[in-house]
Amino acid sequence: MNTLVQSSTPATAEKPVAPRRRRSSVGYPRITPYLFLMPMILLFVGFKLYPYISAFWLSLTKNVGGEVEFAGLENYTRLIADPLFYKALANTGIILLVQVPIMLVLAIVLAVAFNSVLLKIRSFWRTAYFVPIVMGLVAYGILFRALFNTNEGFVNYLISFIGLSPIPWLGDPLWAKVSIVIAMTWHYTGQNAIIYLAQMQSIGGELYEAAHVDGASAWQRFWHVTLPGLRPAIVLTVILSTIGTLQLFDEPYVLTNGGPDNATLTVGMYLYQNGFKFFDFGYASAIGYALTIIIGVISLIQLRLFKEKS
Amino acid sequence: MKFSTPMPGRRAVLTSFAAATVVALVGCSTQTGQSAAKGEIGGKITVWTWNAPGSGLKAAIPAFQKLHPGVEVDVQDVGNPAIWEKITTGMAAGGSGLADILNIGIDYMGNYSEKFPKQLVDLRDLGADKLATQFPAGAWKSGQGPKGQVFGVPYEVNAAGFFFRQDLFKEAGIDYSGLKTWDELLAAGTTLKEKTGASLFSMDKAGTVGDSAGLFELLMGLQGAFYFNAAGDITLNGPEAVQSLEIIKKANDLGLVEDVPGSWENLLVTLRGERKVATTSSGGWLAGVIEEEAPDMAGKWSVSLPPAVKTGGLTGAVNGGTYLSIPSSSKNQATAYAFIDFALGTLEGQKLVYDGGGMFPGFKPMLDSDGFVAPNAFFGGEKVNQIFIDELNQDTPAVNYTSDYARALKAYVDVQTRVVLKGADPKTELDEAAKQVAQQTGRKLATN
Repeated sequence: MNTLVQSSTPATAEKPVAPRRRRSSVGYPRITPYLFLMPMILLFVGFKLYPYISAFWLSLTKNVGGEVEFAGLENYTRLIADPLFYKALANTGIILLVQVPIMLVLAIVLAVAFNSVLLKIRSFWRTAYFVPIVMGLVAYGILFRALFNTNEGFVNYLISFIGLSPIPWLGDPLWAKVSIVIAMTWHYTGQNAIIYLAQMQSIGGELYEAAHVDGASAWQRFWHVTLPGLRPAIVLTVILSTIGTLQLFDEPYVLTNGGPDNATLTVGMYLYQNGFKFFDFGYASAIGYALTIIIGVISLIQLRLFKEKS
Repeated sequence: MKFSTPMPGRRAVLTSFAAATVVALVGCSTQTGQSAAKGEIGGKITVWTWNAPGSGLKAAIPAFQKLHPGVEVDVQDVGNPAIWEKITTGMAAGGSGLADILNIGIDYMGNYSEKFPKQLVDLRDLGADKLATQFPAGAWKSGQGPKGQVFGVPYEVNAAGFFFRQDLFKEAGIDYSGLKTWDELLAAGTTLKEKTGASLFSMDKAGTVGDSAGLFELLMGLQGAFYFNAAGDITLNGPEAVQSLEIIKKANDLGLVEDVPGSWENLLVTLRGERKVATTSSGGWLAGVIEEEAPDMAGKWSVSLPPAVKTGGLTGAVNGGTYLSIPSSSKNQATAYAFIDFALGTLEGQKLVYDGGGMFPGFKPMLDSDGFVAPNAFFGGEKVNQIFIDELNQDTPAVNYTSDYARALKAYVDVQTRVVLKGADPKTELDEAAKQVAQQTGRKLATN
């Protein structure tokens, strides 16, 4: 009792102080909070809002003989009739449908392993799998180019031991897609595993104990306790990975340059080519806005699906 | 608690406000060369270029400074191809952040001058028209705008360099000098492959690293054709293009084309003879690279006029080139032009630049100068430069790159990949690609 009273005293003693403090803030002009927000607002306007608006305006223009001309929706109608844009969309879609599920399942498996008491030097493994995400684009490109080199690459060297002939990893339309999927999986799986691992910490131990008492096998505990517990993290990673894959640029840029024969041309690559290779900034901006709309629609559908199920 | 008195609070707000403003503005502010008074030569200029051409320009600085004491010239190796993106973004941003002199490739010249005509200085205003007659007409024309503006002074003027491994041909018992046409060359290539195991060509078949269209452009050039004709209409599916791709397909089907990703390192492997590839075609500038990078190959590489596609046809082709240009945003245009004029428009400057970087010049007095066509011991006593001059003296048409070269190039490389990797039909694929380029650019297909 005594301790309780004592501990509550400071709180009650402070109470009358609090309003006085608030009153003292009256001395500040009304604008104060906005001034505090100013750096963020300035940065947002300068580096986000302005580019958004500027790109939208660009998407309605075209360059004729060095003069920027208003073109209305011309870039968008051209986009609808552009077979390469559909090719890029299809490639992106295929990579999305194949890579994201593989990566997320792997990430869950890894997270379970990271969480297991059976695993020795757990923090080492967690770090080791997380490291790829901090690797710079160029280093990453050089590494995988070397690994996937048809004649001198390490992967084909390993493959030769099991008696297979060398695979043209980056030179064949199908294998180039496979290479992109492998590289992406290597790059991002660890990050997703860490997100799952964090979510696992919030699943109560008593749930596992109860399941154990009820005689659930390890598999049943995973299926009925761990997976439902991971649900929020899965929703998050599915949506983030979908958005990330739709914007895919890094891997095709450093590994295949969108080739061979456009087999790894993604929407991001196509946008880049139109802007910086063909100097068609209006068209590139239109591609950017089309992609934004597609991402918006898909994300909404995903959110809707997940909500209905829960 | 944090702000006991109003003053520090306000100060903190102002400080962070100021800091944010600084951060926001630093990204935009740029400083090119120190400006001298208008029209006067002085101060500092910067030059954007890349490795070898950079070494050439650097070699001309001391002599330039003797003429104009106190002038500073900063030659920056921006890297190729990074330089194109850097120039593009600079021009798209209204010229912000560009150097005072830009080294621009002929393949980008049309694009920059058509898309950003106000961003490049018309060098006639600075006196460049005096130089016009000193350079080959074709090279000069490709640096001009549609209204006769002079956007660049030719720095490199490259003839196609057709390099071959004398030792390998000798080993196979083939008399290389007897090969006059591509048909004969391919036939010899088959023998060469059987006897020595060497491939006749190397190519990045998937086109994922380099653009891999070098061989095609050479074959097109030997027929006086390109992706576009002089009117800017698309000739990507013309008879010359089909013929060129048929030759490549035939070589590939005969197993004479080695698949080598198109990186610089891979080129060096070939040049050093560590990969058995018997010919390498490129710009004439490659001669200097071979000498420097593959000293052990002395006497093994040689260079010749490229074979003709048809008996009696052209045996010379233009293989690109570069220009020095001044962006309108430069604050020190007079000094920038003075440097260009010295380095490219005088024999003294040209000699220094050539000795320093080895880029093949277009300046006629330089080509005629003593010793320029001296026999080259490295290439078995061949008069290397004479071969290039002979090529440029043939009736090769001016190449019209237009502003859509990059699109046509990409469309072609995709076609070539389908042909050499999947055995697609050249004519069908080229027709398809030409239509695609027309749809993208609004250009007409040339009527053959």
